[in-house]
Amino acid sequence: MFLEIKGLKKGFGSGDSRTEVLRGIDFSVEKGEFCVLLGPSGSGKSTLLNIIGGIDEPDEGYISINGEKTGDMKEKALTLYRRKHLGYVFQMYNLIPNLNVKENIEVGAYLSNKALDIDELLHTLGLYEHRHKLPNQLSGGQQQRTAIGRAIVKNPDILLCDEPTGALDYNTSKEILKLIEQVNQKYGNTIIMVTHNDAIKNMADRVVKLRDGQIRRNYLNESKVSADDLDW
Amino acid sequence: MRNPLWKRLPRELKSDFGKYIVIFLFMTLTIGFVSGFLVADDSMLAAYDESFEKYNIEHGNFTLSSEASESTIKKIEEKGDVRLCKNFYRDESVDTDLDGTENGTIRIYQDRTDMDLVCLMKGEMPQAKNEIAIDRMYADNNSLTVGDKIKVGGEELSITGLIALSDYSCLFSNNSDMMFDAVKFGVAIMTEEGADQFGTTHLEYRYSWQYANEPKDDIEAKNMSEDFIDILVKYAKVTEVIPGYANQAIHFTGDDMGSDKAMMEVLLYILIVIIAFVFAVTINNTIAKEASVIGTLRASGYSRGELLRHYISLPIIVTVIAALLGNVLGYTVFKGMCAAMYYGSYSLPTYETRWNADAFILTTVIPVVLMLVINLLLISRKLQLSPLKFLRHDLSTSRRKKAVRLPNFKFFSRFRLRIILQNKSSYLTLFVGIFFANVLLLFGMMMKPLLDHYQEETVANMLAPYQYILNVPEEPDEDEKFTLMGMIEKLLTPSLKTNEESAEKLCLESVKNVVPGKDGETITVYGIEDDSDYVSTELPTDGVLISDGYSEKYKVKSGDTILLKESYGNEEYELTVRGIYQYPGALAVFMPVDSFRKTFGKSEDYFNGYFSQEKITDLDEDLIAATITEDDLTKISRQLDVSMGEMFQLINVFSVILFALLIYLLTKLIIEKNATAISMVKILGYQNREIMSLYLTSTTWVVVISILLSLVLSTWTIHGIYSYLMSSFSGWLTLYLEPKVYPEMFAMGMGAYILVAVLQFRRIRKIPMDVALKNVE
Repeated sequence: MFLEIKGLKKGFGSGDSRTEVLRGIDFSVEKGEFCVLLGPSGSGKSTLLNIIGGIDEPDEGYISINGEKTGDMKEKALTLYRRKHLGYVFQMYNLIPNLNVKENIEVGAYLSNKALDIDELLHTLGLYEHRHKLPNQLSGGQQQRTAIGRAIVKNPDILLCDEPTGALDYNTSKEILKLIEQVNQKYGNTIIMVTHNDAIKNMADRVVKLRDGQIRRNYLNESKVSADDLDW
Repeated sequence: MRNPLWKRLPRELKSDFGKYIVIFLFMTLTIGFVSGFLVADDSMLAAYDESFEKYNIEHGNFTLSSEASESTIKKIEEKGDVRLCKNFYRDESVDTDLDGTENGTIRIYQDRTDMDLVCLMKGEMPQAKNEIAIDRMYADNNSLTVGDKIKVGGEELSITGLIALSDYSCLFSNNSDMMFDAVKFGVAIMTEEGADQFGTTHLEYRYSWQYANEPKDDIEAKNMSEDFIDILVKYAKVTEVIPGYANQAIHFTGDDMGSDKAMMEVLLYILIVIIAFVFAVTINNTIAKEASVIGTLRASGYSRGELLRHYISLPIIVTVIAALLGNVLGYTVFKGMCAAMYYGSYSLPTYETRWNADAFILTTVIPVVLMLVINLLLISRKLQLSPLKFLRHDLSTSRRKKAVRLPNFKFFSRFRLRIILQNKSSYLTLFVGIFFANVLLLFGMMMKPLLDHYQEETVANMLAPYQYILNVPEEPDEDEKFTLMGMIEKLLTPSLKTNEESAEKLCLESVKNVVPGKDGETITVYGIEDDSDYVSTELPTDGVLISDGYSEKYKVKSGDTILLKESYGNEEYELTVRGIYQYPGALAVFMPVDSFRKTFGKSEDYFNGYFSQEKITDLDEDLIAATITEDDLTKISRQLDVSMGEMFQLINVFSVILFALLIYLLTKLIIEKNATAISMVKILGYQNREIMSLYLTSTTWVVVISILLSLVLSTWTIHGIYSYLMSSFSGWLTLYLEPKVYPEMFAMGMGAYILVAVLQFRRIRKIPMDVALKNVE
């Protein structure tokens, strides 16, 4: 078992205004698996992703990656954990505005001593021709591809994607999903993607459905389809 | 792999070139000036220190009422364990522009070959009777140079050289003077034959001494000089003794250079701290702008340290380059300027530029460390936030507070108040900067009116147009009084009487006040006749009045007791202060003449001076030790104006630039911070004029309030530090802040602000509407 999540609880606020966002989450993900966390707004999926990513803390329970529990880690160790194992992609691309495409990807490469070849990755991302452009000269899809490039260039064990297609149109979203699928196949990273788009579950190996902070369903997708064949 | 974030730095520099270039230029010029100042100060101070050995400067001098015999000199040398050297001089009136009117005094020495040697700076030493070498600074101040002619004591002389006398680095004509006077007083060297042509009327029998064993410090020098004076007075009739350590003509320069250095350093550091705060505020703004990027980077594994190093690197790089370039400019351009300032005040020998490691550290390492520490403190606090908070743009370091509720003002007023609350750290930095600039500006602007006021007050409160101090012949001893010799001596003694109708007798004694832990300062004690025409107040019989300057400087008030001490003796006098007398001209004590005679053990008919409305012409010139006129009393304001006038101007310009720079940087920041909102209100249909009224009016409020408040605070500050500023001077200049300085300062501040506001209005106009529509990235 590569990623294990056990008894995870998380709430915000106190007293009457306290809201329980996660009410005891248990599931695990195998290495190289493509896992989709599916659920409507407020179901707790982003909070769960943030806890897996070590940028938020659970009130109870733990996360273990390769047997290493993140709850035992201090601030410095958590940073190191993120640096070594994780790549992050958000709905908003959060690129550095005064660095060009290649340099934005280098920002990710700097964090790893097993970084992928940047030029090759640029080709994979379809951004080689745009590598000298600044973010404001790119379309939304190109910006998100750059953000994915920045996340995977360090060849992370786990790629965490928080609604990566949330701000994109249908065609661009499919392009991005294809890219993530390609990355998963080519580099073998474990991928955990948060989405509220029900159709995306079809391309996943594992689907975890959340509602009101609890897992409603956790299953392996027997009829996995290519991102190309998705429709919504 | 090098951190790719480094690649942002040149682009960041380019994109915000305006901000960086003004800060860079300001820091470079400030550091350059301070570095130049420290290098010049240190090099000249070294030349000054070396001059003690190089020019064999005396350990003290004394003046006798007549020339000492060889045997007396020998006795003094033996008993006092000193070596003496004749250093006779004559003070002669001088006409520098040959227009027939005397415009100063020149003190003529003969060439020195033993002690107090002469540094020839230009031309040659005099060879003939009608040739003279004059002090270089006196020559500068009177537009004289080698080859010019001047009239001294009625004789036309040709200037052959410009010199610096090692015992006159500061041109004090009288050691008790509050200030030197390099405009109306100079020193000169002539040949023996040349000096002798002036006869003996103004000849002063001065001797310089050097101890066999040089004192190690001022305390030892003081003890040694006290011992020596005790011996000296046994063998000769001394009219004046000036121990080396207390000789203002020798030591004022060194002391002043030392205090200037400390003041410059403090100024530099305050400026660097302000600039560091400006940087910190702008970086915090950038961090807020880039919050989601920072959140992503932190989530990806970038550490706080890496981001901190990234964000503070530009301020540090700018400071390092400014410091290095500033030092280059300091050694090349500013050193000469600062040396010229010293040469404009002091008569220093030539100097060689010395590499000054201390100055380099003070102007590079310390500014960089200050910049680093302040930015580390302020920025690391911001970066403490969790990646999630950055991603959510929730950057408040404290717990979320409720929005401040504002009174039911009009919408525009509430909007402006919100802007002030949003930018309170920027506005606070702006206020501190404005306050500091105003302290400097007030100092620069107050001095000229203060000196003028002092001059007016001094003239208005002069005791008399002429004050004569007389050389009173010694009374024969009681047992000799009625002998034939005693009577003959009395008959031959010139009369102290005058027929001048306005003349009024006075008694005068120079003493020192006793201040614990400090050297006493010269205090003039006046004994005033009953019903005096010149001191228009009732003098107390059970105490004394003191001058207002004495009261202000030493914080003495009516009812206090003051302790005075004989200048060259150990006798002490305890006096009770009964009131303050308006006399800004000197630190003085006034008492009835009878009390004076009793206090100082003088005979019933003793007096040693006159007040007079007119010049007294019927007194033997040899009897007149000194004449005090308006010129003497206003010497300080004249000299400070000459020495420091340009410096005051420089301070004013510097303050206004600092003021404008801070307003420019911080208003720019506020507008940039609100660019999206400004763009949005444009879309909503607001006109540029209205937007300016929203975003610039709040800054205008802050600037106006800051200026007004800082006028009050800077006045308090000046009141607080004035005693320290005046501590290097003997005497006291009454603190006077001319009321018209305040509206002038306000106008200068607002002028600078309006200039900046015009620039910022253009910036607001240029913000396009699509900023609000586009993705922020």
